[in-house]
Amino acid sequence: MRSPKPRRVILYILLVFSVFLFLLPLWACITTSFKTVKDLIYTTPVEPPLSPTVAPLITAFNIMVRPLLNSFTFTVAAMILSCLLGSINGYILTKIKFRGSNIVFLFFTIGIFIPYQAVLVPLVLTMSKLGLYNQIGGLILAHTAYGIPITTLLFRNFYGLIPDSVIMAAKTDGAGTWTIYRRIVLPLSLLPFVVAAVFQFTSIWNDFLFGVVLARGSEVQPASVALANLKGTTEFQWNVQMAGTLWYALPVLVIYLILAKYLIRGYMAGAVKG
Amino acid sequence: MFTKDRLITSLFLLLSLVLVGHFVYFCIGWNVFVSLSDWKGLAPSYNIVGFDQYLRLFHDPVFLTSLKNNLILILLFVPGTLFLGLFLAILLDLKVRGEGVFRGIYLLPFALSFVVTATLWAWMYNLKIGVINTLLGKTGLEFLKSGWITDPNIALYCVVLALIWQFAGYTMLIFLAGIRSIPESQIRAAEVDGASGFNLYRRVVIPQLKAPALSAFVVLMVFALKAFDFIFVLTDGGPGYRTYVLALMMFRWTFSKNEFAYGAAIATILFLLALVIVVPYLYLSFRREKE
Repeated sequence: MRSPKPRRVILYILLVFSVFLFLLPLWACITTSFKTVKDLIYTTPVEPPLSPTVAPLITAFNIMVRPLLNSFTFTVAAMILSCLLGSINGYILTKIKFRGSNIVFLFFTIGIFIPYQAVLVPLVLTMSKLGLYNQIGGLILAHTAYGIPITTLLFRNFYGLIPDSVIMAAKTDGAGTWTIYRRIVLPLSLLPFVVAAVFQFTSIWNDFLFGVVLARGSEVQPASVALANLKGTTEFQWNVQMAGTLWYALPVLVIYLILAKYLIRGYMAGAVKG
Repeated sequence: MFTKDRLITSLFLLLSLVLVGHFVYFCIGWNVFVSLSDWKGLAPSYNIVGFDQYLRLFHDPVFLTSLKNNLILILLFVPGTLFLGLFLAILLDLKVRGEGVFRGIYLLPFALSFVVTATLWAWMYNLKIGVINTLLGKTGLEFLKSGWITDPNIALYCVVLALIWQFAGYTMLIFLAGIRSIPESQIRAAEVDGASGFNLYRRVVIPQLKAPALSAFVVLMVFALKAFDFIFVLTDGGPGYRTYVLALMMFRWTFSKNEFAYGAAIATILFLLALVIVVPYLYLSFRREKE
């Protein structure tokens, strides 16, 4: 049997050690979520519980269930709306030639990079004026509006790959722009819709800033804000806190496990969290 | 010819333009307007006083501390994340078995909410029974125990470390894609010339990673400027003002102290700083696309 080269051994030691460092916080969160208060003191966070319990998970669930449902509602709604609008924009920007289309694209693209602090005060004022402050509708509107720039970019990149000849053929058959979108472009869009939806779901679900300024402490507050509050109130109940963290992270973890490949495509296209 | 079809598509585009136009552009302008007023307290006031708020800022020790901390974040977090990401990308490029699994694990923290990662790191850094201190105790490294985020001297560095942990997978991903896009023939040619291992990367691969490095750099710089959620949840700027940053100060002064004009001025400065980074980058990428 050939023994492996020492350099390969060092390589794998480095890789595995990195895995340890990258997963340590998450591992400690999982073990702690299943511990009794006694185990918190008698075991280190990296050790499994001596007497596993789901009590912290139940306590945390009862605190988090309403905010989790809130988050789910506005996340799904804003995800769908921003993907639809982004898809139509991407189609218009690539397949309909009009003057100033580059300007329109730049207009959207800049929106990806702005620090949201620069709009917070007017955002709150706008939502109060519309009667959407402390309302699910306000969160949906904000996440849709600020999601348009990135979804437009994602769909535009993808539609650039559809040959113009496909569109031209439909045009000569007498189909109008909207018909072409519905009949030809939309059925070809499964992949970009998955990429954009996965990206939008995770970033809207993960958001804290809009949640905290638009719906803090209200009935409709998002799970991110509820978790931050939980951290403030259960100072010494680390098991409940970690259990709450686990509940809030769960949808993203599941998506990551199943759909990481699509999320990565979003990251590669320049779609980066806020 | 303006058909019904044209009308529908135009209306959808118009809807997007109105939404982005209002929530991005008009709101930025509105914020600048607020920053020039004397609005303090819950009732809006648009009594324009000029640049008073900005002048006040430059005499405010909290603002100067926050600015300094953002600068430290830029100087440590940005290069730290770029180097760790590059290092991991090179490791994974060495024909590693199970590359996909390693990649997936290193990238995982980046997919998580800052509220999640901040809570995880609060547990890591906890003084009495937290992960790091108990691990140090178990391994006989008792003397390394520390208050971490409660120690004024190192709190900011603890924040930086955790943020590098969260973002390194992202830069790894960008660099790995960059490495993989270098034509095989070039690598072969360099190998024929006698370059191998570390030298191959230094002489052939790394010089070709300028484009991915630039895009990652811009993303990290903008983040280092606007960092908020993670710090808000982990330290809330403490101890004292040791981990205060501009975005946190903006939030506190605006929404806790109701100093709307003052907060708006901080936000405007943040926006201008971001523009300095983003505008040249967008200009470059638009020119490249045209070519």
